[in-house]
Amino acid sequence: MKKIIPLLFASLLTSHAHAADSAQPTLNVYTYDSFISDWGPGPKIKTAFEKSCECTLNFIAEEDGVSILNRLKIEGTKAKADVILGLDHALMREAKKTGLMQTHQQSFKQLKPGLNWSDDSFVPYDFGYFAFIYDSSKIATPVSSLKELVNSDASVIYQDPRTSTPGQGLMFWMNAVFGDKTNTAWAQLASHTVTVTKGWYEGYSMFLKGGADYVLSYTTSPAYHLIAESEGKYKAAQFTEGHIAQVEVAAALNTSKQPELAQSFLSFLISNEAQQILPVTNWMLPVVKDIELDAAFATLIKPDAINMDIEQLSKDRKSMIKVWRSSAVK
Amino acid sequence: MVCSNAVHCYLLLPFTGNTLTKISNITGLLFILLICTVTLLAFYGLIAFSGQGADLDLLTDSYFHSILIFSIKQALLSALISTLLGWPIARALYYLPNLYFKRAFLSLTLLCFVLPTLVLITGFVSLLGSSGFLTPFMGEGWSLYGLHGIILAHVYLNLPFAIRSFYGQLQNIPNTSWILARQLKFSPWQKLAIIEWPALRANYALTFGFIFILCFNSFAVVLALGGGPQSTTLEVAIYQALKYDFNIGEALTLAWSQLLIAGCFFVLLYRSNSIAWLIKDNHLGQWQSSQSTMGKIILCAIYITTFIFMLAPLIALIPGVFAANYSVTVLMSIGEALALTLLLGFSCAILAMFIAYWMMQPIRHTLLKQQTSLHIIYQWLANHSLIAPAMVLSVGLYILFLPLMDLDSGGMVFVVILNVLMVIPFAIQQIRARLIQFDADYDMLSSSLKLSFWQRLSIEWLYAKSILVSTFALVLLLAMGDVAIFSIFGSDQLKTLPWLIYQYAGSYRINEASLASAILLSIYAILLLKLERVKTHA
Repeated sequence: MKKIIPLLFASLLTSHAHAADSAQPTLNVYTYDSFISDWGPGPKIKTAFEKSCECTLNFIAEEDGVSILNRLKIEGTKAKADVILGLDHALMREAKKTGLMQTHQQSFKQLKPGLNWSDDSFVPYDFGYFAFIYDSSKIATPVSSLKELVNSDASVIYQDPRTSTPGQGLMFWMNAVFGDKTNTAWAQLASHTVTVTKGWYEGYSMFLKGGADYVLSYTTSPAYHLIAESEGKYKAAQFTEGHIAQVEVAAALNTSKQPELAQSFLSFLISNEAQQILPVTNWMLPVVKDIELDAAFATLIKPDAINMDIEQLSKDRKSMIKVWRSSAVK
Repeated sequence: MVCSNAVHCYLLLPFTGNTLTKISNITGLLFILLICTVTLLAFYGLIAFSGQGADLDLLTDSYFHSILIFSIKQALLSALISTLLGWPIARALYYLPNLYFKRAFLSLTLLCFVLPTLVLITGFVSLLGSSGFLTPFMGEGWSLYGLHGIILAHVYLNLPFAIRSFYGQLQNIPNTSWILARQLKFSPWQKLAIIEWPALRANYALTFGFIFILCFNSFAVVLALGGGPQSTTLEVAIYQALKYDFNIGEALTLAWSQLLIAGCFFVLLYRSNSIAWLIKDNHLGQWQSSQSTMGKIILCAIYITTFIFMLAPLIALIPGVFAANYSVTVLMSIGEALALTLLLGFSCAILAMFIAYWMMQPIRHTLLKQQTSLHIIYQWLANHSLIAPAMVLSVGLYILFLPLMDLDSGGMVFVVILNVLMVIPFAIQQIRARLIQFDADYDMLSSSLKLSFWQRLSIEWLYAKSILVSTFALVLLLAMGDVAIFSIFGSDQLKTLPWLIYQYAGSYRINEASLASAILLSIYAILLLKLERVKTHA
């Protein structure tokens, strides 16, 4: 009986805040804007999860992955979110420094062994490789390496490494390929950069309107055009130096008032149901073994991955940003 | 009756007037104190959060030098181009009094100055963006993103201000000067050098300085058209340091630098008078200096070119309006955003006018009593938000209040408070001259007539009504166009119309952005027509 009273109170409070949703609890999730757009995974994930959770799933969107982390840093323990979704593996270390990450209770048996996942706070939900996308009806022979792209005069759109995870990925890529000559390479790239956008969506939309020859995105982006628009002209350029991989991750916050609900959402993300939804809405590859993919995915390039030392990269991130921002000046 | 000092004066005034004057002075001082407190709280929020001071290493970083140089360069170029082009256009208006659509032109200049930047940017993107109508004619290397685009937008927004300011100045040239010039058979060059230039000279520096500060503090234009670190201003760098890097130490260094530079210009500017640019066209019946036919043709060409330049980005919205997706969702979001914009705008404008008027009380009082240094201090404090970056104030308050209250629901209160703070300098600048003029003309008289405080107030209202109403409209329009403050305190559920346009334009839905822009533009045009009518009737 004693336990029932606080429970009643809690349900009263939440029902007061969400009068229309009766007594259901709300799970707040910080994510990035393209995740919750009408064509993104958000609406489908919401419907699927709400079928079983007896809760309301509420997405709160920031412009890109790094912005989610920045919001957390400002809000600290006041963060409204129960779960954050949309950081990538290169930001995990930085995120843990906030002291807000809850240890998860997930087992990763079903994950692809190649991911080698063992983090105790973050759950991976999809992954992909960064790539430059071009319009093959305009460009017959695309550049075949990052070096060639940097030295060319082709117009390029990429995202800001301070706000956007693809931008950050390019920054790691540039450093992996150019080493201590990265600063001159940035300067070279800046001479034919159309614009550096804040988020991925902004830059990619601009490219689709004919804004540039190449845009930084993922090897999986052409699958979207094939499946959603039956359009085959957009292709990813395969680079001989290899590509940088990105694993997108989610985690529960230890400030959450409903840790169990948060955990059940994390395990939902690596369930077969969610893993079927993500490739054809978020246009990334599933992290779980044996998920059947649309035939369009077989047409994508199969890039070699560049080895990444996440610990080291997280440490160098700040100084890499400093190099970028003072070199990418025309 | 001569008042030699304040005490003497108070003794001579009727008791009620005396007390009420005192109270209104104190109220004014309290308001000045209040807005300064808001600014101090914001800086306190920033400093207290980081527990550290500014990051001085940044001062030796080449990144800092390049944004500093860029900020100054773009502001200087924008101010220079605006004032250089503004002069011949003002001359065209002055020397050709019978131009077609001149009233429409003057209304348009006002519209351009208060135009929400995102409406303009939407127009420019559809004209000159990567797939714009005019882009094919701009040559190979053209890009709207970067220095070109920023200066283009800044000139568009500030040229009208320069035109109006210079035109007003030319109209102040006494008829006798021209009659004398004719009698002395001045050559056109002599007229320019001896009559026109001296009339403009003082105003030129002032207009230049004002435009410089506006461009130096510019946010939305640079954020939308900046295109990466190669074209970033201090204001945008502050936003990036806070929102992108969450580096408070750097943000503080940038904020102080911004404050220092804009502050120097500001002090120079405020040593002189304010610029009367909300002039009405009172040219009829004035003496006209004749122009040669060739001169007339050139002036006419300048007039037409300017007209086209100012109309082009607005007309460029039209194709988008027709191509937009008129779905219920789009119309609903535009409707809701419009309602919120009007609500916030009116709350801001009413508050700002109220506060600005009361803040003028101690400023006027110190002027009357010839307390010059106090007068300058009050005036400086009342206007300080012109140089305090909106971004710094917003983020400072955001960080300070986040642990204390739910900003997702209470954020709108801060949007109003900060917008009030931002438009107050404009309000004061507009009403200042008229109120001081009132004191100069009627203070002695109303003192000797022993008018009560309320009698005096009602006379003052009649005297200053037109300028108060037009200033109200101006601050309303400025507050409705805000993006910077809303970008910090806004939420997903509540969006203002400019923010909605930013989101549409940001996701490259130019048609929807054009539709929303066109609606906002029509609201602005309607409010401006009202404003012009008040002025012509006054």
